[in-house]
Amino acid sequence: MIRYILRRLVLMAPVAFLVTVGVFILVRLSPADPALVFLGEERDPAAIEQTRIQMGLDKPLPVQYVVWLSHVVQGDLGRSFETHQRVLEAIWERLPATVELGLAAIFFSVSVALVVGILSAVKRNSIVDLLSTSITLAGVSFPSFFLGIVLILLFAYVIPGKIFPPGGYVPLAQDAGDNLRRLVLPAITLATASLAINLRQVRSSLLDVFGLEYMRTARAKGLHERTVITRHALKNALIPVITLIGIQVGAIIEGAFITETIFFWPGIGRLAVQAIPTGDYPVVQGVVLISAFSYMFSTLLVDVLYAWLDPRISYETITA
Amino acid sequence: MSEAALPVVLRAPRADRWGAIRYFLRRNPRMIIGGSLVVAWLLIAAFAPFVAPYDPVKVSITDSLIPPGANHLFGTDDLGRDVLSRVIWGSRISLSVGVISVSIGFIVGVSIGLAAGYLGGRFDLFIMRGIDALLAFPALVLAFAITAALGPQIQNAMIAIGIVAIPAYARLTRGQTLAIRAREYVLAARTIGCTPLHIVLRHIFPNITNALIVQATLSTAFAILAEAALSFLGLGPQPPTPSWGQDVSYSTRYLANLKWWMSVGPGLAIFSAVFAFNFLGDALRDALDPRLRRSG
Repeated sequence: MIRYILRRLVLMAPVAFLVTVGVFILVRLSPADPALVFLGEERDPAAIEQTRIQMGLDKPLPVQYVVWLSHVVQGDLGRSFETHQRVLEAIWERLPATVELGLAAIFFSVSVALVVGILSAVKRNSIVDLLSTSITLAGVSFPSFFLGIVLILLFAYVIPGKIFPPGGYVPLAQDAGDNLRRLVLPAITLATASLAINLRQVRSSLLDVFGLEYMRTARAKGLHERTVITRHALKNALIPVITLIGIQVGAIIEGAFITETIFFWPGIGRLAVQAIPTGDYPVVQGVVLISAFSYMFSTLLVDVLYAWLDPRISYETITA
Repeated sequence: MSEAALPVVLRAPRADRWGAIRYFLRRNPRMIIGGSLVVAWLLIAAFAPFVAPYDPVKVSITDSLIPPGANHLFGTDDLGRDVLSRVIWGSRISLSVGVISVSIGFIVGVSIGLAAGYLGGRFDLFIMRGIDALLAFPALVLAFAITAALGPQIQNAMIAIGIVAIPAYARLTRGQTLAIRAREYVLAARTIGCTPLHIVLRHIFPNITNALIVQATLSTAFAILAEAALSFLGLGPQPPTPSWGQDVSYSTRYLANLKWWMSVGPGLAIFSAVFAFNFLGDALRDALDPRLRRSG
C-alpha cells in the first residue's frame, strides 16, 4: 500500500510541476503591467522602474519562475496588490468558511443521494424513482447561480417568516445557530449539481449489482430482503460512489466561486472573484494554485481509499 | 429456353433513407425532444432580429420594472429594457460561445489524441502529462483563471472554455485510437505503404466520430453553462450587450424588491439550452455508442 502511494506521488510530480508552470504563465499572460497595478495611482517612471526591479520583473521569465516557485514552496504566495496583505494569510483567513460550506454541501449531496438513490433503485418505476430521475436530469443542467437566486427569493423574501437569510456569514464559534441558518441555502445551492451525479451513480450501480448472481443466491438462501440490500448489495454498490466524492471536491471548489459570490460568503472563491476587477493577480494566482493542489490531492486520496476498500482492485492495475 | 432458366438477379431493396431516419427517431423519442429544443434555440439565435419584439439595449425609463404581461411577456428590467428581447439576443452569445469553444476543444483535443494514440512513445508520454496538468484544475476554475488573465471579453471566454474542453477530447480520441491502431485493416493500410497521416485521417478518424459527436454535444452544454457562469462573475461580454449570465447577475440587486422576472427569463433560458444539449447528448450516446451506455 505504501509503495502504491509513493508511486502515485512520484507520478504526480511532473503534473504538479506543469500545474505550477501553468499558473505562473497565466498571470504573465495578463496585458496589465503588475508594477503599475501594484503602485496604483503612482505614475513616477523612477518609482515604476524601482518596483519592477523589486518584483523581479526585469529578469528573464525562467528566472522569474524559479524565484516564484522557490517562494511558493516556502509558503510565500506573494502579497495582494490591493491590500498588501500576504496572499497565503488572506486565503488562510477565508479557508474555514469555504471548508465549512464544502463539507456541508458534500454531506447534503451524499446523504440525499443515498436515501433517494436506494429508494429509487429498490422501488423502480415508482414515484420516488421518477423524482430521482427528474432531479438527475434537471440538476446537471440547472445553473447553480440561478438556483441560488430562486432559493433566496423563496426562502428569504416570498415565503412568510423569512426562514433563511439571503446571505452573509457568522463564524461558527460566535453564534452556532445563526451560522447554521445562514449555511442552509448556500449548501443546497452548491450541492445540487453533485447531487444529480451522485444520485445517478447510486441508482445505477445498485441496479447493476441487483442483476448479479450472488444476489440471487442471497435471496435463494432465504435472507430477508432488507439484509440482502444492506449487507450484500450496498456494500458493493457504494464503492464507485466513493470515487465520485473525489470528483466532487473539484465541483465544490469551482461551485464555491459562484455560490460564495451570490450569498456573500467570505470564502476563498469570493476572494478570487473580488480580486479580478482590481487586477489583483497574486490573489487569483494563489487561489487557483491552492484549488488545483487540493483537487489533485483529493483525487489521490480517493484512489487510495478505493483500492483499500475494494480488495479486488490490485494497485498495479490502477497504476497501469 | 424457359423463363426459369434465366439468371436471377438479386437486387437489394432500395434504401429508403427517410424511412430509416423516421424509424430511428421513433425508437429514440429523447432525441426528438432534445433535438427539437436545440434546433429551436439555433433558429432563435439565427433570427434574433426578427423574433425579438423590442430592441434589447434600448433604455426606456418610463417602462421600467413592468411585470410580465401582454406587452412584455417576460417583463422589463430597471432600465425599461424588454427581458424577452434580451433573452433572445443573449442566445446568440451563449450559442456562439458554445459552438466556437467546442470547436477549439475539438480541433486541438482530437489532433492531440490522434497523434498521441498513433505515435505513442515519448510524444504520447509528454503530451498526455500536459493533458493531465489541465485536468488537475477544476474545469471552471481554470476557465475563470484564463479569462481573468486575458481580460473579461467574450473572445477570451471562448478561448478559456475551449482550452478547458481539450482534455476530454484528447483522452477520448487517444483511447479510441489505441484500440483501432491494433486492428487488421490499419496494419493492412500500413503494409501497402500508406503514410501515417493518411492512416490517421482515412482509417482511424472516421471510426471514432460517433464517440466524438456525443462528446461534442455534451460539451456544448458544458460550454453554455460555463459561459453563463463566467458572465455571471463579470468575465463575459460587458454591458449593455445582452448575455444570460450577466443579466441574471444584474438582476440580483432587485431580488429584495421581488422583481423576480428579471432573473427568471435569462435563468430559464440557460437551463433550457443546457438541458437541450445534455438531453440530446444522452440520447445520441445511447443510439450511437452503446458501449458507453449507462444504466439509469
